[in-house]
Amino acid sequence: MNLKNVLRLISVDVKSGRLIRAGIFRRYKERRIYQYLLYGGACIIGLLVGLAVGNLYSRLPVSEEKTLLHQTAQQLFTSLPTIVLLYSLVFTMMGQIQRSGIKVSIQPPYWLPITWGEHTLAASFAHIIGLPLASIVLLSTAVFSLSIFLAELPLATITILALLASAFLASTTTEIFRVLQVRITGSVYKSSGKVAIWVRFLGSLLFLVVFYIVWFSISSGSGLITIIETVTGVQGAVWFFPYVWLGMTLSSFINGLTVQTIIFSLASIAFILLLFYLAVKFNTRFGLYEPPAITVSKGVYVPKTSLLGKFGFSSLEAAVIRKDFKAFTRRRELMYTFIMPIIIIIAPLMQYLGMLGASVPSEASLFLVAWILLAPGPLMAMMVGIMIIGEEGSSVWLFYSSPITTRSLVKCKYAFMCILSFAVMLICGAIGILVTRPSLQLAFTLLIESTFLIFALGAVSLRAGIKGADFVETPRPRMVRPLTSVINTLMCMLLAVVTVSPLIPYAMSLISLPFTIPLPEIDVYVAISISAVIAFVITFVFYRMAFKNAAEFLTKAEV
Amino acid sequence: MVATGEYAAELRGIAKRYADIVAVDYIDLDIKYGEILGLLGPNGSGKSTTLKIILGLVKPDSGSMKVLGINAEEDPVAIKRLVGYVPESPRLYEFLTGLEYLDFTGDIYGINASDKKTRIEEYLEALDLEGREGDMISSYSQGMKQKIALISAFLHKPKLLILDEPLNALDPKSARIVKDLLRELAAKGVTAILSTHVLEIAQAMCDRIAILYEGRILALGNMEELRKKAQLPGSNLEDVFLKLTGTGAIKEIVEALLK
Repeated sequence: MNLKNVLRLISVDVKSGRLIRAGIFRRYKERRIYQYLLYGGACIIGLLVGLAVGNLYSRLPVSEEKTLLHQTAQQLFTSLPTIVLLYSLVFTMMGQIQRSGIKVSIQPPYWLPITWGEHTLAASFAHIIGLPLASIVLLSTAVFSLSIFLAELPLATITILALLASAFLASTTTEIFRVLQVRITGSVYKSSGKVAIWVRFLGSLLFLVVFYIVWFSISSGSGLITIIETVTGVQGAVWFFPYVWLGMTLSSFINGLTVQTIIFSLASIAFILLLFYLAVKFNTRFGLYEPPAITVSKGVYVPKTSLLGKFGFSSLEAAVIRKDFKAFTRRRELMYTFIMPIIIIIAPLMQYLGMLGASVPSEASLFLVAWILLAPGPLMAMMVGIMIIGEEGSSVWLFYSSPITTRSLVKCKYAFMCILSFAVMLICGAIGILVTRPSLQLAFTLLIESTFLIFALGAVSLRAGIKGADFVETPRPRMVRPLTSVINTLMCMLLAVVTVSPLIPYAMSLISLPFTIPLPEIDVYVAISISAVIAFVITFVFYRMAFKNAAEFLTKAEV
Repeated sequence: MVATGEYAAELRGIAKRYADIVAVDYIDLDIKYGEILGLLGPNGSGKSTTLKIILGLVKPDSGSMKVLGINAEEDPVAIKRLVGYVPESPRLYEFLTGLEYLDFTGDIYGINASDKKTRIEEYLEALDLEGREGDMISSYSQGMKQKIALISAFLHKPKLLILDEPLNALDPKSARIVKDLLRELAAKGVTAILSTHVLEIAQAMCDRIAILYEGRILALGNMEELRKKAQLPGSNLEDVFLKLTGTGAIKEIVEALLK
């Protein structure tokens, strides 16, 4: 294996995310500072946390608390490899889902003299780059600096090595999952024929639902201590499961069991090597596999008449809406959008149904009802609104070259965003009402407010999405510039509060607080009317602003 | 409204720079209705940028332009309605089937349902895409994608075709169909501006050829006029092109590479 080739491939993967826009790609200069900022920041934060806790520990007099803190730190070190393994799996798998489904995504140059082993090793490392690696840097520096105060440097060294091994274990697992997923889904498409698209769409949603149910079941609890205790407890119980062997190595080391420490560490190395061997074998076997074509339609072509025409949409606008609908149900990286409503609804529903252990107090239950009925639609509008232009990717040339006006562009994109958000609101609302059974007035109020927020926040986000569109597609579609996204989120939060603020007295009247807040009494229907006016003003202003941004977007086309 | 003047496109003093690179250097160009104009030039000579400027995809830094009698500054959308465009490497929506893509572009240009159906079926048959039209574009070869891009450019019966390397990756039969189609359309008054590196195609298809070099038009005319300009009577376009662009010392370059 040529390690220089591995480094070169990792470097290609890192560089594939460069911002390639007209005007800046000539004489491209790498701003390395941004590349290292994430890791440098993580290092500093980790160091500060470690020093702070260590300082606290050293100031404590010899006491039970000091011993307890020492033991908790040791327990934390023991559980860290498994925790890192779990979240690295989440990060790397989600990274794969988001990765561009189109063929321009970085492929290993198969025609170059690069072995599958080199490619697999590079891909496994590349999965970790970014947040997973930054969090390992943060944890490692924290563990190292804390261990100086605890006089646990040997343990810290083994912990840091175990963290790196855990991340690599997770990314190798993801690489195996990636290769197998391509091969298996290929077979599913082949056998399912026309319905393959819906099999893929519903299968992806089901995967996300199951994934988050498991994730929330594991991660729920009353804080970090509970997670650590759960992980260390589970580790001991399932010691025969290879994924916890790194954690078992550490706990054996702490307990002074030298033979066990050596056995578990060797077994961990053997398991990692076995997984890597499997990943290389799968890549060799299926790496060049192209999934079969999905045949969506057969037989005579009959142009469909669209219902959208009856709602005042031109054939151009209706065509763009239909195209976007297909994009969101067929493009893997856009299906990621549906994670948001799934996350929003699953955790509170699981809590409501008693799947997370604790029962819900009445005040919290009102909050949960409000969350389930109010949030999914507007959050979907925010997400879709900000990405609906950038999702065009490099196919955006078609918009630039087609006779689309600014008015039509804004209208059809806004309409699609609203339709999708309303669908999400209605589905989540129906589930929420069935499970939580709120009063008719409460359900009506929340759903009508959700509608106002979809219109208002959708317009705000669409305007931001046009202004900050990013068409870079590798290694994953960016769709919007990060800074635009952050500013838009803050703006939407603020405007959402403003929009629902007339309902605050009504909400307070439903909660029995131990103290009174001097708020004016206001009829709920008057409050809804005021809220409607605020939402209308926000929608109108930002929708008009979107025209201006769309005009700039279409005339400054540089493709 | 489309003017019925002499020229389908009139470019006056058009210039475009990217940072310190001159892509198009103050060119003047008149293209007649029903003419097939070929743009030739080495890589980076400004062919694609010129095509994009005519369509309105790239805004020139200076100069003025009328396309199909419409002032490009005033009503770019009106121009786009009448133009069919194929970019150099067309990126299509890979999540759509070929048929869905053509249906989509048909709707974008406002073609009515019966015309759309007839034209799509005719083109699919002519370019041997029948049987694959229901498959997702992601499974298409480069040539099939190029055919879909070409059909979508022809579908709405444009008055002006702007084609960047239109015969890229096409099989010989389809390439011949496209060439013959362009000639027939030109006879009916449809103008075509195309860029190509295949000099035989340019020589065979184009009424006039513009040779671009470093953003400027070095020579413009029919084959005879180009030969005269290069002072190479009876030569083929390859020799003329190499002489005019000053890239004729091929033998020395090859010998140096073989050392």
